[in-house]
Amino acid sequence: MNDINISKNEILALFPKVAETVADAVGCETEKVKLESSLIEDLGAESIDFVDIVFRLQRLFKVKIPHGKIVEQARGSLSEAEFEKAGVVSEAGVTRLRTFLSEVPPERFKLPLKVADIPRLFTVETFCKLVIRQQRATAATATPQAA
Amino acid sequence: MKAPTLTDAGLAGRVALVTGGSRGIGRAIVETLAAAGMTVAFTYRENSAAASEVVAAGPPSAIFADAVDVRDSQSCAAFVEKVVERTERIDLLVNNAGVIRDNTLGLLQDDDLKVVLDTNVAGAFNMTRAVVPYMISARQGKVITITSVSGEKGGRGQTNYAASKGALNSFTCSLAVELAPRGITVNAVAPGVIETELSRAVREQAPEQVQSRILLRRFGQPEEVAYAVWFLASKYADYITGEILHVDGGFKME
Repeated sequence: MNDINISKNEILALFPKVAETVADAVGCETEKVKLESSLIEDLGAESIDFVDIVFRLQRLFKVKIPHGKIVEQARGSLSEAEFEKAGVVSEAGVTRLRTFLSEVPPERFKLPLKVADIPRLFTVETFCKLVIRQQRATAATATPQAA
Repeated sequence: MKAPTLTDAGLAGRVALVTGGSRGIGRAIVETLAAAGMTVAFTYRENSAAASEVVAAGPPSAIFADAVDVRDSQSCAAFVEKVVERTERIDLLVNNAGVIRDNTLGLLQDDDLKVVLDTNVAGAFNMTRAVVPYMISARQGKVITITSVSGEKGGRGQTNYAASKGALNSFTCSLAVELAPRGITVNAVAPGVIETELSRAVREQAPEQVQSRILLRRFGQPEEVAYAVWFLASKYADYITGEILHVDGGFKME
Protein backbone atom coordinates (compact mmCIF):
# COMPACT_ATOMS: atom_id res chain seq x y z
CA MET A 1 0.00 0.00 0.00
CA ASN A 2 2.98 2.28 -0.36
CA ASP A 3 2.56 5.36 -2.38
CA ILE A 4 6.17 6.13 -1.53
CA ASN A 5 7.02 3.58 -4.17
CA ILE A 6 4.98 5.30 -6.83
CA SER A 7 6.86 8.30 -8.17
CA LYS A 8 5.25 11.48 -9.40
CA ASN A 9 6.88 10.89 -12.78
CA GLU A 10 5.18 7.53 -13.13
CA ILE A 11 1.87 9.15 -12.32
CA LEU A 12 2.44 12.01 -14.75
CA ALA A 13 3.40 9.58 -17.49
CA LEU A 14 0.06 7.85 -17.15
CA PHE A 15 -2.01 10.96 -16.58
CA PRO A 16 -2.81 11.99 -20.20
CA LYS A 17 -4.37 8.61 -21.04
CA VAL A 18 -6.22 8.38 -17.73
CA ALA A 19 -7.50 11.95 -18.16
CA GLU A 20 -8.79 11.14 -21.61
CA THR A 21 -10.49 8.00 -20.29
CA VAL A 22 -12.13 9.88 -17.43
CA ALA A 23 -13.28 12.65 -19.79
CA ASP A 24 -14.82 10.11 -22.17
CA ALA A 25 -16.60 8.33 -19.34
CA VAL A 26 -18.05 11.36 -17.59
CA GLY A 27 -18.60 13.27 -20.83
CA CYS A 28 -16.49 16.37 -20.28
CA GLU A 29 -13.58 18.10 -22.05
CA THR A 30 -10.21 16.46 -21.41
CA GLU A 31 -8.78 19.88 -20.46
CA LYS A 32 -11.17 20.01 -17.52
CA VAL A 33 -9.63 16.87 -16.03
CA LYS A 34 -6.74 17.68 -13.70
CA LEU A 35 -4.65 15.27 -11.70
CA GLU A 36 -6.19 16.59 -8.49
CA SER A 37 -9.80 16.71 -9.77
CA SER A 38 -12.23 14.85 -7.57
CA LEU A 39 -14.27 12.57 -9.80
CA ILE A 40 -17.57 13.22 -8.06
CA GLU A 41 -17.16 16.73 -6.67
CA ASP A 42 -15.31 18.36 -9.56
CA LEU A 43 -16.24 16.31 -12.60
CA GLY A 44 -19.79 15.34 -11.65
CA ALA A 45 -19.19 11.60 -11.98
CA GLU A 46 -21.93 9.27 -10.76
CA SER A 47 -21.33 5.81 -9.36
CA ILE A 48 -22.15 4.25 -12.74
CA ASP A 49 -19.30 6.29 -14.25
CA PHE A 50 -16.86 4.49 -11.93
CA VAL A 51 -17.91 1.21 -13.54
CA ASP A 52 -17.25 2.78 -16.92
CA ILE A 53 -13.90 4.33 -15.94
CA VAL A 54 -12.60 1.10 -14.40
CA PHE A 55 -13.82 -0.89 -17.41
CA ARG A 56 -12.08 1.48 -19.84
CA LEU A 57 -8.86 1.52 -17.80
CA GLN A 58 -8.81 -2.28 -17.69
CA ARG A 59 -9.03 -2.48 -21.45
CA LEU A 60 -6.65 0.38 -22.15
CA PHE A 61 -3.89 -0.77 -19.81
CA LYS A 62 -4.63 -4.51 -20.02
CA VAL A 63 -4.92 -4.90 -16.26
CA LYS A 64 -7.53 -6.54 -14.09
CA ILE A 65 -9.18 -4.28 -11.55
CA PRO A 66 -11.59 -6.27 -9.39
CA HIS A 67 -14.61 -4.48 -7.97
CA GLY A 68 -13.80 -2.60 -4.74
CA LYS A 69 -10.06 -2.87 -5.30
CA ILE A 70 -9.20 0.65 -4.11
CA VAL A 71 -10.90 0.22 -0.75
CA GLU A 72 -9.47 -3.29 -0.39
CA GLN A 73 -5.94 -2.01 -1.02
CA ALA A 74 -6.51 0.93 1.32
CA ARG A 75 -7.68 -1.41 4.07
CA GLY A 76 -4.47 -3.39 3.73
CA SER A 77 -3.87 -5.61 6.74
CA LEU A 78 -6.82 -4.22 8.72
CA SER A 79 -9.72 -6.62 9.01
CA GLU A 80 -13.13 -5.40 7.87
CA ALA A 81 -14.20 -5.07 11.49
CA GLU A 82 -11.14 -2.96 12.27
CA PHE A 83 -11.70 -0.81 9.21
CA GLU A 84 -15.39 0.00 9.65
CA LYS A 85 -18.31 -0.37 11.99
CA ALA A 86 -21.91 -0.19 10.76
CA GLY A 87 -20.86 1.52 7.55
CA VAL A 88 -18.68 4.17 9.21
CA VAL A 89 -14.90 4.08 8.78
CA SER A 90 -13.07 3.64 12.09
CA GLU A 91 -10.30 5.94 13.33
CA ALA A 92 -7.69 3.39 12.28
CA GLY A 93 -9.41 3.11 8.93
CA VAL A 94 -9.35 6.87 8.37
CA THR A 95 -5.64 6.99 9.26
CA ARG A 96 -5.04 4.23 6.73
CA LEU A 97 -7.08 6.03 4.07
CA ARG A 98 -5.23 9.33 4.63
CA THR A 99 -1.94 7.59 3.91
CA PHE A 100 -3.24 5.50 1.05
CA LEU A 101 -5.06 8.40 -0.59
CA SER A 102 -2.20 10.82 0.05
CA GLU A 103 -3.23 12.76 -3.05
CA VAL A 104 -6.50 13.80 -1.37
CA PRO A 105 -6.21 17.09 0.55
CA PRO A 106 -6.65 16.47 4.33
CA GLU A 107 -9.58 18.88 4.60
CA ARG A 108 -11.62 16.66 2.29
CA PHE A 109 -11.70 13.87 4.91
CA LYS A 110 -14.87 14.92 6.70
CA LEU A 111 -15.63 12.86 9.78
CA PRO A 112 -17.52 10.69 10.43
CA LEU A 113 -16.64 9.13 7.08
CA LYS A 114 -19.13 6.61 5.71
CA VAL A 115 -17.76 3.70 3.69
CA ALA A 116 -20.24 4.56 0.95
CA ASP A 117 -18.70 8.04 0.74
CA ILE A 118 -15.11 6.89 0.24
CA PRO A 119 -15.44 7.17 -3.58
CA ARG A 120 -16.21 10.87 -3.10
CA LEU A 121 -12.57 11.26 -2.12
CA PHE A 122 -11.14 9.70 -5.27
CA THR A 123 -9.25 11.96 -7.62
CA VAL A 124 -7.84 11.32 -11.06
CA GLU A 125 -4.50 10.61 -9.39
CA THR A 126 -6.18 7.87 -7.35
CA PHE A 127 -6.96 6.08 -10.61
CA CYS A 128 -3.44 6.64 -11.98
CA LYS A 129 -2.04 5.01 -8.85
CA LEU A 130 -4.56 2.17 -9.09
CA VAL A 131 -3.44 1.37 -12.63
CA ILE A 132 0.24 1.50 -11.65
CA ARG A 133 -0.36 -0.89 -8.73
CA GLN A 134 -2.30 -3.30 -10.92
CA GLN A 135 0.37 -3.12 -13.65
CA ARG A 136 2.96 -4.05 -11.05
CA ALA A 137 0.81 -6.87 -9.72
CA THR A 138 0.36 -8.20 -13.24
CA ALA A 139 4.08 -7.97 -13.96
CA ALA A 140 4.87 -9.72 -10.66
CA THR A 141 2.64 -12.69 -11.47
CA ALA A 142 3.90 -12.86 -15.06
CA THR A 143 7.58 -12.92 -14.07
CA PRO A 144 8.79 -16.47 -13.50
CA GLN A 145 10.19 -16.90 -10.03
CA ALA A 146 13.65 -18.32 -9.60
CA ALA A 147 13.56 -21.81 -8.18
CA MET B 1 -46.21 2.71 -44.16
CA LYS B 2 -44.15 -0.36 -44.93
CA ALA B 3 -44.70 -3.15 -42.46
CA PRO B 4 -41.63 -4.09 -40.39
CA THR B 5 -39.94 -7.35 -41.27
CA LEU B 6 -37.46 -9.34 -39.21
CA THR B 7 -34.50 -8.04 -41.20
CA ASP B 8 -35.22 -4.31 -41.26
CA ALA B 9 -35.36 -3.85 -37.52
CA GLY B 10 -31.90 -2.30 -37.23
CA LEU B 11 -30.42 -5.53 -35.89
CA ALA B 12 -28.28 -6.61 -38.85
CA GLY B 13 -24.58 -6.64 -38.02
CA ARG B 14 -25.22 -6.35 -34.29
CA VAL B 15 -24.33 -8.87 -31.63
CA ALA B 16 -26.61 -10.64 -29.16
CA LEU B 17 -25.77 -12.83 -26.19
CA VAL B 18 -28.54 -15.21 -25.16
CA THR B 19 -28.34 -17.43 -22.09
CA GLY B 20 -29.89 -20.89 -22.27
CA GLY B 21 -30.16 -20.98 -26.05
CA SER B 22 -30.12 -24.66 -26.90
CA ARG B 23 -33.74 -25.49 -26.27
CA GLY B 24 -37.27 -24.16 -25.95
CA ILE B 25 -37.83 -20.42 -25.85
CA GLY B 26 -34.08 -19.69 -25.84
CA ARG B 27 -33.57 -21.62 -29.05
CA ALA B 28 -36.43 -19.75 -30.75
CA ILE B 29 -34.89 -16.47 -29.62
CA VAL B 30 -31.45 -17.42 -30.98
CA GLU B 31 -32.94 -18.47 -34.32
CA THR B 32 -35.12 -15.37 -34.63
CA LEU B 33 -32.29 -12.96 -33.83
CA ALA B 34 -29.98 -14.73 -36.26
CA ALA B 35 -32.71 -14.51 -38.91
CA ALA B 36 -32.87 -10.78 -38.19
CA GLY B 37 -29.20 -10.53 -39.16
CA MET B 38 -27.57 -10.59 -35.73
CA THR B 39 -24.51 -12.54 -34.71
CA VAL B 40 -25.68 -14.59 -31.74
CA ALA B 41 -23.59 -16.10 -28.97
CA PHE B 42 -25.49 -18.36 -26.63
CA THR B 43 -24.83 -20.39 -23.54
CA TYR B 44 -26.17 -23.81 -22.72
CA ARG B 45 -25.85 -25.91 -19.61
CA GLU B 46 -25.58 -29.55 -20.62
CA ASN B 47 -27.12 -30.41 -23.92
CA SER B 48 -24.22 -29.96 -26.33
CA ALA B 49 -25.93 -32.02 -29.04
CA ALA B 50 -28.92 -29.67 -29.04
CA ALA B 51 -26.58 -26.65 -28.96
CA SER B 52 -24.62 -27.93 -31.97
CA GLU B 53 -27.87 -28.39 -33.83
CA VAL B 54 -28.85 -24.75 -33.22
CA VAL B 55 -25.41 -23.55 -34.34
CA ALA B 56 -25.52 -25.70 -37.48
CA ALA B 57 -29.02 -24.55 -38.42
CA GLY B 58 -28.03 -20.87 -38.41
CA PRO B 59 -26.49 -18.81 -41.20
CA PRO B 60 -22.74 -19.57 -41.61
CA SER B 61 -20.73 -18.32 -38.60
CA ALA B 62 -23.69 -16.30 -37.30
CA ILE B 63 -24.25 -18.44 -34.22
CA PHE B 64 -21.80 -19.82 -31.70
CA ALA B 65 -22.24 -21.42 -28.32
CA ASP B 66 -20.44 -22.46 -25.17
CA ALA B 67 -21.32 -24.50 -22.10
CA VAL B 68 -21.61 -21.98 -19.25
CA ASP B 69 -23.10 -22.37 -15.81
CA VAL B 70 -24.69 -18.94 -15.30
CA ARG B 71 -24.60 -19.53 -11.52
CA ASP B 72 -20.86 -18.98 -11.68
CA SER B 73 -20.01 -15.30 -12.12
CA GLN B 74 -16.48 -15.99 -13.30
CA SER B 75 -17.68 -18.31 -16.05
CA CYS B 76 -20.11 -15.61 -17.17
CA ALA B 77 -17.33 -13.00 -17.25
CA ALA B 78 -15.06 -15.37 -19.18
CA PHE B 79 -17.76 -16.09 -21.74
CA VAL B 80 -18.48 -12.39 -22.23
CA GLU B 81 -14.77 -11.72 -22.77
CA LYS B 82 -14.63 -14.51 -25.30
CA VAL B 83 -17.63 -13.13 -27.17
CA VAL B 84 -16.17 -9.63 -27.28
CA GLU B 85 -12.82 -10.96 -28.46
CA ARG B 86 -14.61 -12.46 -31.41
CA THR B 87 -17.26 -9.81 -32.12
CA GLU B 88 -15.81 -6.66 -30.50
CA ARG B 89 -19.22 -5.65 -29.16
CA ILE B 90 -22.40 -6.80 -27.46
CA ASP B 91 -25.54 -4.89 -28.35
CA LEU B 92 -28.15 -7.11 -26.78
CA LEU B 93 -28.28 -9.40 -23.78
CA VAL B 94 -31.17 -11.81 -23.39
CA ASN B 95 -31.29 -13.38 -19.94
CA ASN B 96 -33.24 -16.50 -20.70
CA ALA B 97 -31.57 -19.36 -18.82
CA GLY B 98 -33.95 -20.73 -16.26
CA VAL B 99 -34.92 -23.87 -14.42
CA ILE B 100 -38.08 -25.07 -12.76
CA ARG B 101 -38.42 -27.27 -9.65
CA ASP B 102 -42.12 -27.16 -8.87
CA ASN B 103 -43.57 -28.53 -5.66
CA THR B 104 -45.85 -27.35 -2.92
CA LEU B 105 -44.02 -25.48 -0.20
CA GLY B 106 -43.99 -28.29 2.34
CA LEU B 107 -42.36 -30.65 -0.12
CA LEU B 108 -39.77 -28.26 -1.51
CA GLN B 109 -36.24 -29.21 -0.58
CA ASP B 110 -33.49 -26.70 0.21
CA ASP B 111 -31.90 -27.54 -3.09
CA ASP B 112 -35.12 -26.83 -5.02
CA LEU B 113 -35.02 -23.28 -3.74
CA LYS B 114 -31.29 -22.84 -4.17
CA VAL B 115 -31.02 -24.14 -7.72
CA VAL B 116 -33.98 -22.09 -8.93
CA LEU B 117 -32.88 -18.82 -7.31
CA ASP B 118 -29.21 -19.29 -8.18
CA THR B 119 -29.91 -20.07 -11.83
CA ASN B 120 -32.82 -17.77 -12.57
CA VAL B 121 -31.93 -14.76 -10.43
CA ALA B 122 -28.20 -14.88 -9.69
CA GLY B 123 -27.60 -16.13 -13.25
CA ALA B 124 -29.22 -13.00 -14.69
CA PHE B 125 -27.24 -10.82 -12.26
CA ASN B 126 -23.98 -12.53 -13.18
CA MET B 127 -24.38 -12.24 -16.91
CA THR B 128 -25.80 -8.73 -16.84
CA ARG B 129 -22.98 -7.48 -14.61
CA ALA B 130 -20.45 -8.89 -17.03
CA VAL B 131 -22.11 -7.44 -20.15
CA VAL B 132 -23.30 -4.03 -18.99
CA PRO B 133 -19.87 -2.31 -18.78
CA TYR B 134 -19.49 -2.85 -22.53
CA MET B 135 -22.88 -1.25 -23.09
CA ILE B 136 -22.19 1.65 -20.72
CA SER B 137 -18.94 2.28 -22.50
CA ALA B 138 -20.70 2.20 -25.88
CA ARG B 139 -23.56 4.35 -24.56
CA GLN B 140 -26.08 1.97 -26.09
CA GLY B 141 -27.47 -1.50 -25.62
CA LYS B 142 -30.53 -3.48 -24.67
CA VAL B 143 -31.11 -5.95 -21.89
CA ILE B 144 -34.14 -8.23 -22.11
CA THR B 145 -34.95 -10.73 -19.40
CA ILE B 146 -37.35 -13.60 -19.81
CA THR B 147 -39.52 -13.69 -16.71
CA SER B 148 -42.89 -15.43 -16.43
CA VAL B 149 -46.55 -14.89 -15.86
CA SER B 150 -45.95 -16.68 -12.56
CA GLY B 151 -43.90 -13.69 -11.40
CA GLU B 152 -47.17 -11.83 -10.99
CA LYS B 153 -49.88 -14.46 -10.86
CA GLY B 154 -50.01 -17.05 -8.13
CA GLY B 155 -49.61 -20.67 -9.14
CA ARG B 156 -49.79 -23.78 -6.98
CA GLY B 157 -46.43 -25.45 -6.48
CA GLN B 158 -44.48 -22.53 -7.84
CA THR B 159 -43.40 -20.54 -4.79
CA ASN B 160 -39.71 -20.90 -5.65
CA TYR B 161 -40.10 -20.35 -9.40
CA ALA B 162 -42.58 -17.49 -8.93
CA ALA B 163 -40.27 -15.82 -6.41
CA SER B 164 -37.41 -16.03 -8.88
CA LYS B 165 -39.45 -14.58 -11.74
CA GLY B 166 -40.97 -11.85 -9.57
CA ALA B 167 -37.44 -10.95 -8.58
CA LEU B 168 -36.47 -10.67 -12.24
CA ASN B 169 -39.37 -8.31 -12.92
CA SER B 170 -38.16 -6.07 -10.10
CA PHE B 171 -34.59 -6.44 -11.32
CA THR B 172 -35.75 -5.19 -14.73
CA CYS B 173 -37.42 -2.09 -13.32
CA SER B 174 -34.47 -1.08 -11.14
CA LEU B 175 -31.89 -1.74 -13.81
CA ALA B 176 -33.93 0.33 -16.28
CA VAL B 177 -33.62 3.27 -13.89
CA GLU B 178 -29.89 2.75 -13.44
CA LEU B 179 -29.02 2.40 -17.09
CA ALA B 180 -31.36 4.88 -18.76
CA PRO B 181 -28.87 7.77 -18.38
CA ARG B 182 -26.42 5.75 -20.45
CA GLY B 183 -28.86 5.08 -23.29
CA ILE B 184 -29.46 1.44 -22.40
CA THR B 185 -32.98 0.06 -22.32
CA VAL B 186 -33.98 -2.75 -19.98
CA ASN B 187 -37.16 -4.74 -20.46
CA ALA B 188 -38.70 -8.10 -19.68
CA VAL B 189 -40.85 -10.55 -21.59
CA ALA B 190 -43.18 -12.56 -19.39
CA PRO B 191 -44.36 -15.69 -21.17
CA GLY B 192 -47.39 -17.68 -20.09
CA VAL B 193 -47.62 -21.41 -20.71
CA ILE B 194 -45.45 -22.06 -23.76
CA GLU B 195 -45.08 -25.47 -25.39
CA THR B 196 -41.58 -26.36 -24.26
CA GLU B 197 -39.92 -29.11 -22.29
CA LEU B 198 -39.83 -26.85 -19.22
CA SER B 199 -43.61 -26.48 -19.07
CA ARG B 200 -44.41 -30.06 -20.00
CA ALA B 201 -45.40 -31.10 -16.47
CA VAL B 202 -47.76 -28.14 -16.07
CA ARG B 203 -49.32 -28.73 -19.48
CA GLU B 204 -49.74 -32.45 -19.14
CA GLN B 205 -51.07 -32.45 -15.60
CA ALA B 206 -54.45 -31.00 -16.50
CA PRO B 207 -54.32 -29.48 -19.98
CA GLU B 208 -57.95 -28.50 -20.19
CA GLN B 209 -57.98 -26.94 -16.76
CA VAL B 210 -54.89 -24.91 -17.58
CA GLN B 211 -56.17 -23.86 -20.99
CA SER B 212 -59.47 -22.78 -19.49
CA ARG B 213 -57.51 -20.15 -17.55
CA ILE B 214 -55.97 -18.74 -20.73
CA LEU B 215 -58.16 -16.21 -22.56
CA LEU B 216 -57.00 -17.43 -25.97
CA ARG B 217 -57.62 -21.06 -24.91
CA ARG B 218 -54.32 -22.42 -26.20
CA PHE B 219 -50.69 -22.71 -25.18
CA GLY B 220 -48.13 -20.40 -26.73
CA GLN B 221 -45.34 -21.32 -29.12
CA PRO B 222 -41.67 -20.48 -28.45
CA GLU B 223 -41.60 -18.34 -31.61
CA GLU B 224 -44.34 -16.14 -30.21
CA VAL B 225 -42.08 -15.25 -27.29
CA ALA B 226 -39.10 -14.82 -29.62
CA TYR B 227 -40.97 -12.25 -31.72
CA ALA B 228 -41.64 -10.18 -28.59
CA VAL B 229 -37.91 -10.30 -27.81
CA TRP B 230 -37.13 -9.32 -31.41
CA PHE B 231 -39.50 -6.35 -31.09
CA LEU B 232 -37.97 -5.11 -27.85
CA ALA B 233 -34.49 -5.57 -29.32
CA SER B 234 -35.39 -3.73 -32.50
CA LYS B 235 -35.25 -0.04 -33.35
CA TYR B 236 -39.04 -0.02 -33.09
CA ALA B 237 -38.74 -0.29 -29.32
CA ASP B 238 -36.05 2.35 -28.77
CA TYR B 239 -38.42 4.38 -26.58
CA ILE B 240 -39.50 1.48 -24.38
CA THR B 241 -37.74 0.76 -21.11
CA GLY B 242 -38.71 -0.72 -17.74
CA GLU B 243 -41.55 -2.59 -19.43
CA ILE B 244 -42.78 -6.11 -18.80
CA LEU B 245 -44.32 -7.39 -22.01
CA HIS B 246 -46.70 -10.29 -21.38
CA VAL B 247 -46.89 -13.00 -24.01
CA ASP B 248 -49.40 -15.25 -22.33
CA GLY B 249 -52.59 -15.37 -24.36
CA GLY B 250 -54.28 -13.34 -21.65
CA PHE B 251 -53.40 -15.80 -18.88
CA LYS B 252 -52.79 -13.12 -16.32
CA MET B 253 -56.25 -11.59 -16.94
CA GLU B 254 -58.24 -14.64 -15.95
